[in-house]
Amino acid sequence: MVNLKDKKILIVDDEPEIRKMIESFLRKEGFFRIYNATDCGSALSICQTDKPDIAILDVMLPDGDGFSLLSSIRQISEMPVLFLSARGEDEDRLLGLGLGADDYIVKPFLPRELVLRLMAILKRVYSSPISEQLSVFQLGEQTINLESAVVYGNQKELPLTAKEHAILVKLYENQGRIVTSDALCQAVWGDDSYGYENTLMVHIRRVREKIEVDPSKPLYLLTVRGLGYKLLVKGTR
Amino acid sequence: MEGVIRILRRFVAATIIISIFLLIFNLVMLCVLVFTENNQSPSPENVVKQVAQSMDKQGDSYRLNENTVKLLQQNNAWAMLIGEDGHVRWNYHLPNDVPQSYNLVEVAKFSRYYLMEYPVYTWEHQDGLIVVGYPKKSHWRYQFDYLSDWLESLPLRLILLLISNAILALLISIMIGTRLIRKIRPLVDGVHSLAKKEVVQLDADGIFDDLAQSINSTSTMLQNKTDALKARDEARSNWIAGISHDIRTPLSLVLGYASEMEENSDLPDEQRHQASIIRRQGEKLRSLVSDLNLVSMLEYEMQPLHLKNIRLSVLARQVATDFLNNGIDDRYAIDLKLPTEAIHIIGDEKLLLRAINNLVQNSMHHNPEGCKIVLETALSEEGSKYHFIVTDNGQGIPQEQLKNITELPYSPKRKGTIKQGHGLGLPMVARIVQAHKGRLILESGEDQSGLTAVMEFPIKHQNDEH
Repeated sequence: MVNLKDKKILIVDDEPEIRKMIESFLRKEGFFRIYNATDCGSALSICQTDKPDIAILDVMLPDGDGFSLLSSIRQISEMPVLFLSARGEDEDRLLGLGLGADDYIVKPFLPRELVLRLMAILKRVYSSPISEQLSVFQLGEQTINLESAVVYGNQKELPLTAKEHAILVKLYENQGRIVTSDALCQAVWGDDSYGYENTLMVHIRRVREKIEVDPSKPLYLLTVRGLGYKLLVKGTR
Repeated sequence: MEGVIRILRRFVAATIIISIFLLIFNLVMLCVLVFTENNQSPSPENVVKQVAQSMDKQGDSYRLNENTVKLLQQNNAWAMLIGEDGHVRWNYHLPNDVPQSYNLVEVAKFSRYYLMEYPVYTWEHQDGLIVVGYPKKSHWRYQFDYLSDWLESLPLRLILLLISNAILALLISIMIGTRLIRKIRPLVDGVHSLAKKEVVQLDADGIFDDLAQSINSTSTMLQNKTDALKARDEARSNWIAGISHDIRTPLSLVLGYASEMEENSDLPDEQRHQASIIRRQGEKLRSLVSDLNLVSMLEYEMQPLHLKNIRLSVLARQVATDFLNNGIDDRYAIDLKLPTEAIHIIGDEKLLLRAINNLVQNSMHHNPEGCKIVLETALSEEGSKYHFIVTDNGQGIPQEQLKNITELPYSPKRKGTIKQGHGLGLPMVARIVQAHKGRLILESGEDQSGLTAVMEFPIKHQNDEH
């Protein structure tokens, strides 16, 4: 497995204080190949000479904006890019993401958030494809493999239907938190999903029959009355 | 366009009414002024009739009673009785120039016109013919001959005359009206476009040139004012956007290092606790800055709306879920009452979520001892409005504060100090609702128990899919 901490990181920001702070956080996390640039010109030359693996770009730069810098970078490199901008308007965010940025963080930010998001991008882009697979997790006696959509337990193999699988994936992504029935319907049936609430209840019942010991007294897939459902998972993977 | 036609219709109707009135007036005047003299009483026919009837025969001579004599004297008239043989058998003040005997031809002549230039009237009497004569030139005599057909069709002809008069009046009024309207129409259109804030440039000629000029200059003035206002609003909003942008970079450093120190296990607990206070206050500042920016964008109508079909019940569940997922204090309880699931409104999901969130936050802020919060959706009685109601059973807000609580804090309209929060929460809700063409109604109970916030939205009119 590739060591993500070996990756070369380029920080482009016209504020030296910000650059210094981000660099110190990244070094603390274990990254050590860090490059700094104050403007578009120097950023592009670093891209050509040092070939960084990921870039953190500011949007407002002295000699242009980060969006056009991203377009220029894209002509020489396909590396992932994370915007870190003081411009938090929806338009800017959508423009940045639309240009192919991997994430968009609005200043002021918490260093942990930046590092976590950066790691997530690096993992997605550079890690071996295995980690991209959907999870396998344990619910009491049962093992649920979301990748192959199968529930294992009591020497039995119960396949999940497409809808049941979609419901479980959504609940698993938000494990321990309530997911509204609207959000579940949207995850399963798409945007125009009003009116599927009763169908959802039928599917939830079927999921319980597969993962619960007693479907009438669920221990893991709980109903939150009036709101939605919650999946309780103890000990993931 | 419709307005112009209405003006024309009224104009024509007024003209017709005036014409009819004039016609009636003329008829009345004709009767009153012209025909009164003619109808003097008694008429010559009556006089001669009275003479014939009141004549007493006494032997061979005749006598008039006193009334009749008086009548003749009043009219300066004379009278005579012509016998069967053509001789005058009796007379009263017969002038000298009137002959004493007549043949058939002479009788026929004077019975139609004049006798020796005296206007005379005749009546039959058992002994002959009574003739009453008036002074010369006191009366004009005409013979009227009518065909009976003509007389019978007279009413029809009169009606025809009236109708043709009415048609003529109508035509003339329409002609004058359309001419006038043609001149007025550009002016009317101009004023209508003024109301729609459009640029108006009218041709300043014809009878209404000064009016057209005034409309043109009003339009220019309005346009200039709107531009100036817009420029000023934009400048203000950009100023706030700029400041909030500039605050973000130093705030990044504060938050960054503070949270770093908070997590640094080498530092003593007290310092880490202090760092966490710095971090939390920094986060508060961050939300204040972005709220300020959002409110200013909404205030100056510069916030872009990402509109789509939204069911408010979905948002209610999401807000409640978010509060529960993020760990809500036991003092607070959130209940949902969502009877009308199917209703859609057109709105910006993010902003509406923010508004509901603010209302719930507001209830929590005002009731640190805890309260029960109810999120409710309801259709208004006539079905044209959709209400999202957030109710709590807490302390409520005093009536005098309720009036200006949606004004921006520190503006002249918002008096009193802001106790909790930054005071932008409710103003933001009010502006979000306004941006959706709705209104925010805040009510607190008489005894200051509980606060009810109603966000009222118009419903798009269209039968929904479900």
